[in-house]
Amino acid sequence: MRLLTNLAVSSSPAVDEAGKHTLVCIFLRGGADTMNLVVPYADDVYYRARPSIGIKRPGGGSASAVRLDDRYGLHPMLQPLQEKFAEGRLAIIQGVGTDNTSGSHFECQDQMEHGDSMSGTPAGGGWLGRFLRARANPATGPLSAVAIGTTLPESLRGAPVVSVIQSLQEIALKTPSGKTEAAAQVLARLYGADVTLLGQQGRETLDLFERVRQLQTNDYAPAHGAQYSKDGFGNGLREVARLIKARVGLEVACLDLGGWDTHFIQGAAEGLQAQRAKVLGDGLAAFDADLKDHRQNVTVMVMTEFGRRIYENSSLGTDHGRGFATLVLSDRLRGGQILGGWPCVVEETLTGPGGMRISHDYRSVFGEVLKGAMGLERPREVFPEFTPQPVGLLA
Amino acid sequence: MKTSRRDFLVSSALAGGVGMLASCERATSLLSQEAGQRLPDSLAVCDAVEVDPGFHLLSRATFGPWPGEVERLRALGREAWIEEQLQPESLDDTLCDLRVGAFESLHFEPGNAWEFRKEVLRDEITRHAFLRAVYSRRQLFEVMVEFWTDHLNIDIEKGDCIYLKPSDDLRVVRRHALGSFRELVLASAKSPAMLTYLDGRDNKVRKHFPKDAPNENYARELMELHTLGVAGGYSQEDVREAARCLTGWTVDLKRGMLKDLNLFAPARGVTYFKPDWHDDGAKTVLGQRIPAVGGEADLERLVDIVCNHPATARYLAGKLCHRFVSHTPAPALVERVAAEFTRTSGDIKSLLRVILNSGEFAESRGALFKRPFRFVVSALRAVAADTHAHKPLLDYLHRMGQGLFQHPTPDGYPDEEAPWLGTLLWRWNFAFALAGGKVPTVGIDARALRRVLEPGAKLKNPPSAKFADNLFAHACGRRPVEAEQEALTHLTDPGELLGAVLASPAFQRC
Repeated sequence: MRLLTNLAVSSSPAVDEAGKHTLVCIFLRGGADTMNLVVPYADDVYYRARPSIGIKRPGGGSASAVRLDDRYGLHPMLQPLQEKFAEGRLAIIQGVGTDNTSGSHFECQDQMEHGDSMSGTPAGGGWLGRFLRARANPATGPLSAVAIGTTLPESLRGAPVVSVIQSLQEIALKTPSGKTEAAAQVLARLYGADVTLLGQQGRETLDLFERVRQLQTNDYAPAHGAQYSKDGFGNGLREVARLIKARVGLEVACLDLGGWDTHFIQGAAEGLQAQRAKVLGDGLAAFDADLKDHRQNVTVMVMTEFGRRIYENSSLGTDHGRGFATLVLSDRLRGGQILGGWPCVVEETLTGPGGMRISHDYRSVFGEVLKGAMGLERPREVFPEFTPQPVGLLA
Repeated sequence: MKTSRRDFLVSSALAGGVGMLASCERATSLLSQEAGQRLPDSLAVCDAVEVDPGFHLLSRATFGPWPGEVERLRALGREAWIEEQLQPESLDDTLCDLRVGAFESLHFEPGNAWEFRKEVLRDEITRHAFLRAVYSRRQLFEVMVEFWTDHLNIDIEKGDCIYLKPSDDLRVVRRHALGSFRELVLASAKSPAMLTYLDGRDNKVRKHFPKDAPNENYARELMELHTLGVAGGYSQEDVREAARCLTGWTVDLKRGMLKDLNLFAPARGVTYFKPDWHDDGAKTVLGQRIPAVGGEADLERLVDIVCNHPATARYLAGKLCHRFVSHTPAPALVERVAAEFTRTSGDIKSLLRVILNSGEFAESRGALFKRPFRFVVSALRAVAADTHAHKPLLDYLHRMGQGLFQHPTPDGYPDEEAPWLGTLLWRWNFAFALAGGKVPTVGIDARALRRVLEPGAKLKNPPSAKFADNLFAHACGRRPVEAEQEALTHLTDPGELLGAVLASPAFQRC
């Protein structure tokens, strides 16, 4: 046990310092059709391209868009976000994208999560991994980066420490005799003698047991009447909120929300995509309410690998396009505005008809979020070959 | 319940609760045990410094050595063992067949699978794959089934795929797992499950824009993931043209009163070609012209073009070497395998022969990381466990991130080590639970293991250091190094020792 106790004690003092601000990255897997999430209702082109799946103009009842300004409205299922926009805390950036024209989920997700471009040299690891490594110090705790789920997201590859969990209660070693200390000690020796990545990850897993033991003692009651839905996404956000409040040094948390590859019967105000939008909207609302007293410490960014085409396809769905809208919820960035170009301008050249034109390379957006929210001073440490263009998020 | 006095059977007796099924499973377990599917009376452990070459071959070409198989391989000779595995029908698999005999939903015509509840379908296809991996003697075949299941991934949680995947598993993956790559791709292209999973069933000629339009989803993955690879040199135009070739191939998932009355209507869940949805103009794919009015023959032309493309030989050779040899396979080996692919027009057995008999393979001992499925199955095999793969066991796989047939995206579960490193905790907890006989519905004979690895020991006494060494060597194929040996001296309970060995870094590798 001595070995473990030493580890825990030696790294505890500076933990609060490292975890002052937490960036929560939500990846909508599958290429989300953000055109129906942030609806350009002022444009007839939108309605002509989407005769079946377009979201009605605001004012037409519960199935119509929720007005943000004279041009844009939110998907009705994202209604809880309207208030955040009005408070000046939610920013939306249109026409964000990569330079990747492959239309491949895996290429585009990988490229984005690695923070690379199609033409440049890969920088190695993920963009969040590089960010965490660049600011790592000996006091970086085992919970500085957490991914909710079962697989390590590419964006966190290369981070000094990452934990992949579904719930905090899970973080415990269980042996038949119940004498876990002896087993933990043997594992510490076995993994301590292994010099590879596996050995490192084993040691971090053991370290984690110590750190979360305190959090496991009582049940969690969300603050300010926040109600998380009982799905994986709601549960994941709840666990992230607990970690933020517990000030265990969490700097980056990653969550996935899947089901956005809507080639087929996407639906409009109701239907396949609307269900996903509801999970997203309700989750963010609960998370934001729960962390009302910690808002200065949290930034949330919602991204996807590419947007979809402007016109609907034969299956009442949408095929792979390019540009998409990014949502950023933060007290440290300029919200209450919709940045980027008008989305209903069809790009004819690169990907065939119908992709949203890119007005901002995604790295400009990620870079401003890291700078404004997390205090990153040298964006080149994260995006080595890239010269960012101003997006308008910085205060 | 007398038989359950024996340790071996305690857990399996609890497996299905009471009733017919449970007693069937008990009978199967007993019979299998009597027929020799258990720990042998003696074992020759591999206690050299390096991983034993036979153990190495079994770690890759099977889901991990079953006790006694290293000795059998030695007696038979390496090449003969490989040839035997390449002729799976020559290996009697009755005992395994018996374990999976009750899963009737797997054998129904795809259109009739709707008779079953989703839970039953999910349970049976998953347990079938799991039990075959643990108990089949046709291990290389099962390893290839896993490979193609990833390569031609279908997530049973998407849409109606759960009704269609059982027949895809049988008629596409299992039928061609050791056959011809071209036949495999052709069968997959027409598989109702694949047509549903990647939206090909909705791919039609562009008529009334934008109502009728091609759906490029399958055409893209056919090139990117199934044949050429993302760097295979195809263009976006090629994807569009390939999608045009495939228009009209569809499958009906709904059934209606009128359809049921119409004898000529296509059966539910069965693939058919709909000429008026087909784009019958000329196409050009990868520089090759497909003349107009090809009709349904366009599909086969397209499959020939992509399967015969040199990029496909390289891509498949690289992927097989990646799975069987190393995550950074020697280019020379990949070239040899690609050449064999071209020479044999994608004969899968020939490719495996080149890989498994290569020097590069022999030199790659311990270089790969077990994915969760292989980790769990190899642990069960190492201790000759008795299980019928019920939920408590399968739940561990979900925690480790590899629920069977449930990878959401068409690229299949990754081979790399990094995506799996975040769930080590669940491997450890599985290892300790299995070793202590605490995984519900899984039986292990801890006493027999002790007896065979520490002959003559009194079971009441704490195990000797020799037992720990032998246990490690039995599970990992080599003698423990000093640090490993020292670490294990801190445990005195035989069950926890076994848990620690199965949780060790060495057992995570193969």
